[in-house]
Amino acid sequence: MGLLRYTIYRLIQTIPVLIGISIITFLLANLGPGDPVRLMLQGVEHDEEMIRTIEQRYGLDRPLHERYITYMAGVVQGDLGHSIHRNRSVSDLVLHRAGPTLFLVLSAYAFALATAIPLGIIAAKRRNEPTDHVSRIVALIGVSTPSFWIGIMLILIFAVTLGVLPSSGLVYPWRPPDSYGYSNHLELWYHSLRYLLLPMIALGTLQMATLMRVERTQMIESLQGEYVKLARAYGVPERTILRKHAFQVAQLPIITIVGLNLSTAIGGAVLIEMVFNINGMGRLFIEAIAQNDYQVVMGLTMVLGTLFVIGVVITDIAYAYIDPRVTYGEEE
Amino acid sequence: MARKQFDITRRNLLASGAAVSAAAIAGCIGGENGETDDGADDADPGGNGDSAVFHFTQEQSRAEDFDPVIANDAYSAQVYGLVFDGLYEWGEGLELEPKVATGEPDVEDDGRRFMFEIHEGIEFHNGDELTASDVAHSFLAPVEEETENAASYDMIESAEPIDDYQLEVNLEEPYGPFELQTMAVTISPEEARTDDRDAFNTDPIGSGPYTFEDFSENEYVELERWDDYWDDEMEEPNIESVTFVAHDDDAGRISDIRAGETDAIAGIPNDDWDVLEGEDNVEVHRAESPSYMYLAFNCNEGGTTDPDVRRAIAHSFDMESFVNEHAEHTADPMTNPIPPTVNEVWGFPEDEYGEMLPEYDPEEAEALLDESDAVDDDWEPIIITPEGIRASLAERIATRLGEIGYGAEVNVLDFGQLVETYNTGDADDYEMYLLGWTGGPDPDFYLYSLFHESQAGVNQGHFYEGSDGFHDAIAEGRTTADQDERYEIYEPVIEEIVEELPALAAFTQHNTMASGDHVEGLEVHPNVQTNPNLISYHTNVSLQ
Repeated sequence: MGLLRYTIYRLIQTIPVLIGISIITFLLANLGPGDPVRLMLQGVEHDEEMIRTIEQRYGLDRPLHERYITYMAGVVQGDLGHSIHRNRSVSDLVLHRAGPTLFLVLSAYAFALATAIPLGIIAAKRRNEPTDHVSRIVALIGVSTPSFWIGIMLILIFAVTLGVLPSSGLVYPWRPPDSYGYSNHLELWYHSLRYLLLPMIALGTLQMATLMRVERTQMIESLQGEYVKLARAYGVPERTILRKHAFQVAQLPIITIVGLNLSTAIGGAVLIEMVFNINGMGRLFIEAIAQNDYQVVMGLTMVLGTLFVIGVVITDIAYAYIDPRVTYGEEE
Repeated sequence: MARKQFDITRRNLLASGAAVSAAAIAGCIGGENGETDDGADDADPGGNGDSAVFHFTQEQSRAEDFDPVIANDAYSAQVYGLVFDGLYEWGEGLELEPKVATGEPDVEDDGRRFMFEIHEGIEFHNGDELTASDVAHSFLAPVEEETENAASYDMIESAEPIDDYQLEVNLEEPYGPFELQTMAVTISPEEARTDDRDAFNTDPIGSGPYTFEDFSENEYVELERWDDYWDDEMEEPNIESVTFVAHDDDAGRISDIRAGETDAIAGIPNDDWDVLEGEDNVEVHRAESPSYMYLAFNCNEGGTTDPDVRRAIAHSFDMESFVNEHAEHTADPMTNPIPPTVNEVWGFPEDEYGEMLPEYDPEEAEALLDESDAVDDDWEPIIITPEGIRASLAERIATRLGEIGYGAEVNVLDFGQLVETYNTGDADDYEMYLLGWTGGPDPDFYLYSLFHESQAGVNQGHFYEGSDGFHDAIAEGRTTADQDERYEIYEPVIEEIVEELPALAAFTQHNTMASGDHVEGLEVHPNVQTNPNLISYHTNVSLQ
């Protein structure tokens, strides 16, 4: 099987997975406790007739299977339903919120990779030296500390006490500078970075710590490999060994972790968006759950589930592409 | 091929990593000395760079409905309240003052007909004149379009303009709260609104002191001062531009005001009150609100159907000390279902009710429970509650009941589950529940919605049967507009509630705000929708 056929095969495999996600999500959202209409009318004088009218308006009076079929018919056409609480198309809501979340998550990954890989290499190269000990302690703290707590601490230090960075919100670099009152793109990017810095670090720390531990372990393993010893015996400079022979092989597990940790990162983004008041999908998720806005919960779960499945598929494909030892499913 | 690709990726990765690191350092260095975003306009997530721009952080996200006909969340109302005018508006307290109306209405036909006269020459922001037909539309549209606000206007039989500046409104029956609440209708331009309702909802056109300028869903709303505002009796607003953002996270909001990211925040948690009060550059504010938190008893099934059991629960713990411990700065204990700020207008004998309420007396509580046939010796009722201070109160009751040989099972439910459960009347679901209600300035909002039999299983789950005439009196109270007459009708009803305890009044929560010390003239209004109260006949907030 060639790479293209393998890719298509993996993509086709995602279809039953996504259908499974949709059924489970739909059942959980609809059979779970909580009545969205009563919740919407809480605090307003109402009667049973008004409840029935609203249920009828949103099709909530129809049998579950009918609602599922109608819902899925919409989903395949890109219509994720209509938010009861917000009176908006869920697709529009999700699209509107996807940018900030992706911006945050990708930045956090960039931060994690940019810091974890060099630190992991240094720790491996100086194994059991003070530098290694420090990096391992930092990684341990990073892995064991909840991201929202890191976020709150960063706000207290850098925003409240030192007053050098903003405590909430984001400036989006894709918007025109004048929408924020900035005169040029340089100013926009500068402010965008200032607003991004704290949430990015708060969200990226866990990824950074995880990646650094794996990078260190893999690099140590690589540096002890027979091929490295052979290279050394041939007199290949240590720098070249590190860069070309050890480093390259050590990156395969990193790719896996980056792909599979996507869901962890998005989960972390939910909390970070609440702490830093970022209007992304995570915050929308929390609000929708609190409001029993089940169409939004379902829409977001479908989108996030799809993103996760795509992440896994891309990881698989990238793995197969990079590592010649990975087979495409032919006879073994 | 694969190796080449990998090399390129790695280099790019390291290069981008270096760029991020360098930029991060630049960002850290660049923001020193508490620099704010001078030059940034209101869309900036940050705050106080401009003395004419007021940046306000709301305590909960808006539903983003800015059409007054369909909007029913307080946080959207805080925004559109500055964009629209009401026929009448709230003054410094919960009393209505004429705004678009020239004065009090002429009331005819035993309180069934109201004749309104409105000011001439009022213009909406699109240049159209505000006429009596717009007022009629504003009264009728919620019912005609079956919006969630329909119940507030469904007593209106007809609203017909007599000419451009006079309107006749007929009610099916006299309706007590009409003059205290319904007349506060917000006036929308009929033509612009019905032309494209969806567009109007996100880009509303009013006749108020601010225009709706810019909006990014769930991020910010920006309003601009309307320099051609019609009302010459009111000063020109000092604030040129207002930006609303919402920050649901308590800790985040507190950080925002402490870091100077915003000019004012709403909703100060009790535990943060002292912290903010101790800040040099922050001022805290509060006002009583018409809110009523209560502990309701299941009078339909279970042990709490016995009034002595309900009294025993009330004897078993000390509400006042609980409120002082958990909400010293943000709430006050209550004695009856009418919030103190509403009672300022009505004058019900609160002190007498206080004396009638069972005081903290665990021995009496134990004796009453021991004597009651409705409960066993090992009775452990279920209390359902939302999280937060009400869950703490439920835990306190359970602890105190435990101390006298009984107990309670506290089920903290998410709000969605709670509203589905608290009105089943099933003792297996609950024997007590804790909830709250924020109404208007009329006792009807608390008595009818929370105690009338028609609301059993809908808005109330105590199913209290009451004495002969209890429910009739509540219904009768809304059919007359005469306040003295209504006082006489309501007073025995309230007394019965305090005596028989279908619900024990717990506390009233305050509206709270914190502002930077550069904000002058900011006062919290009891009506949460009226906050931030930037401009009125009584106030004109400014930034120094």
